[in-house]
Amino acid sequence: MSSVAGSADAGRGAVYDRGYRPYEGPRGRRGAATLALYKASMRRALGLRRTWRQKVAPFVLLAVVTIPAIVNVGIGYVARDRFDGFQIITYREYVGVSSALLLFVALVAPDVMCPDRRQKVLPLMFARPLLGTDYVLAKVGSIASILFAFSYLPQVVLFLGNMLVSDAALDYFTGHLDVLWKVPLSILVLAVYYAMIGCALSSLTDRRIVAGASVIGLFLLTSIASGVIVDQTDGPGGGGGGGYGGLLNVLAMPLHLRDVIFLGHVDASSQLGGVAGGGWLALACYLLVLSAGASVLWWRYRWVER
Amino acid sequence: MSTGPLLRLTGLTKSYPGVTALDDLTLELPHGRIGLVGANGAGKSTMFRILLGLSHPTAGHVEVCGIDVARDPIGVRSRLGYMPEHDCLSLDQTAADVVSTFGELSGLPPRAARQRASDILDLVGLDEARFRPISGFSTGMRQRTKLAQALVGDPELVLLDEPTAGLDPIGREEMLQLVDRLGTFGISVLMATHLLDDVQAVCDHVVMINAGKLVVSGATNSLLERTGLVTIDVGRHTEELLAGLAGAGVSAVAVDGVVEATVGDDAQMDLVRDVVAELRLPLFRLSTRLRTLDEAFVRRSEELA
Repeated sequence: MSSVAGSADAGRGAVYDRGYRPYEGPRGRRGAATLALYKASMRRALGLRRTWRQKVAPFVLLAVVTIPAIVNVGIGYVARDRFDGFQIITYREYVGVSSALLLFVALVAPDVMCPDRRQKVLPLMFARPLLGTDYVLAKVGSIASILFAFSYLPQVVLFLGNMLVSDAALDYFTGHLDVLWKVPLSILVLAVYYAMIGCALSSLTDRRIVAGASVIGLFLLTSIASGVIVDQTDGPGGGGGGGYGGLLNVLAMPLHLRDVIFLGHVDASSQLGGVAGGGWLALACYLLVLSAGASVLWWRYRWVER
Repeated sequence: MSTGPLLRLTGLTKSYPGVTALDDLTLELPHGRIGLVGANGAGKSTMFRILLGLSHPTAGHVEVCGIDVARDPIGVRSRLGYMPEHDCLSLDQTAADVVSTFGELSGLPPRAARQRASDILDLVGLDEARFRPISGFSTGMRQRTKLAQALVGDPELVLLDEPTAGLDPIGREEMLQLVDRLGTFGISVLMATHLLDDVQAVCDHVVMINAGKLVVSGATNSLLERTGLVTIDVGRHTEELLAGLAGAGVSAVAVDGVVEATVGDDAQMDLVRDVVAELRLPLFRLSTRLRTLDEAFVRRSEELA
């Protein structure tokens, strides 16, 4: 439908009313809507299609987490004649550069979740072919994906760099094949965990600053509390068995699982080091925290399907 | 477009603890522009939530465009557009981004969503402003953006909740013109409002609810019944006309500078015309006064009470 609404005099401009054209192409349903929300949340988290200020945090973080890999490869290259297989940081240690990722989750999860509530966008979203579970899946998935990418990319830099500066690149590659599945699996465990906690806490408030402080607070407080318990019970005058206090450390749970993936057992120097079946306990706590996060999210968005 | 009725409500009831928001509504509404009228708290927003499948009725059955909402809420939402009353837009995004994102959420492929967002923003008069952040928009521009996001998925029915709320007279007029145009595009409209003038201006059909109960439902014209009054505007000669009508046995009064005469039949109407002619008065207007929707709403509510 179109019409000329302005003057049609020869040589003069005309204003065309393009009217309305119905859409007759393909149309997706829940899957397409979920994917669209996932992509929109990714864009938001990365600051794409937003002002430059919103792009600073994610890309500074990416730079920060990549620096150890670059330094490691650089020194390895410079000192290649003196040290074979030089390492400042191992692949295992590089999984979960915790404080940087924690900061990222505390910044991004609230930014992705809270404005939808504060600006009352949710009713518009749920007027689309989208359920509460789809919404949660898209949000957690987007943050987990970015965390995965930002943790995996430096590992790729480290691996390729080490391979290229080693005396025999092919030997290095074949000698480190296990890294090719251990690293992504460990990072996946970590990314899903942090994303779930970040989203769950952010869903409880519509204020970003409160949500961000809650994320950092939860990780720090449980970390400090578990440290105090472990020190008190395992120290002089303590009754022993303080390692179980390490199960309170929410921040460290995916790192224990990382150790299980890389070493086959919990790291002896960690808080759970002296605990029998520490790996299984860590897995149980990990799943418990994930379940708690999922329950919070289900509870917060259950009204959509009422 | 489905061929059956646009909406079919059967015994629709929604109760909350201590409150019945909708009380046994049974309705069948045709395609077109429909006004859903009621005071604040009448149950309009509850009805919208039920139509969108976001709230389950306590009792009854709802079909939208021939689809059972209880069985296939996702299917219903794929055919609906929704414009809420309250602010609901991401303020730090541009109108183009917001509308294209909602296009994708409606199931459109990304490329088609971007193209349609551009077209729809042009349609609602925001073509120049579409790359500006919404935080800098006026109330009228935000209302247009809200309408654009409701239309971007090419809905069969669009639910508009108080679309003229907060607009100045010009903005209100422009919004009503847009709503009026939707009908010509083959998009049905269900417009919730408490402003009967808005409904009278653009809607073909009116549904009035009060405290969750159906007051009346029917074609707008059928509700604008004749009142038995004619309005006669003879400029500053009101007193002469009143005297002439009294002499001819026609009951009349002066209201706001015009004369309102009670006419029972066509013969009395002719008599009014003859009186004006015999007195050689200038006749600026001679019209039958119709009952307004406000009067119809109040009268039907009183009858129900």
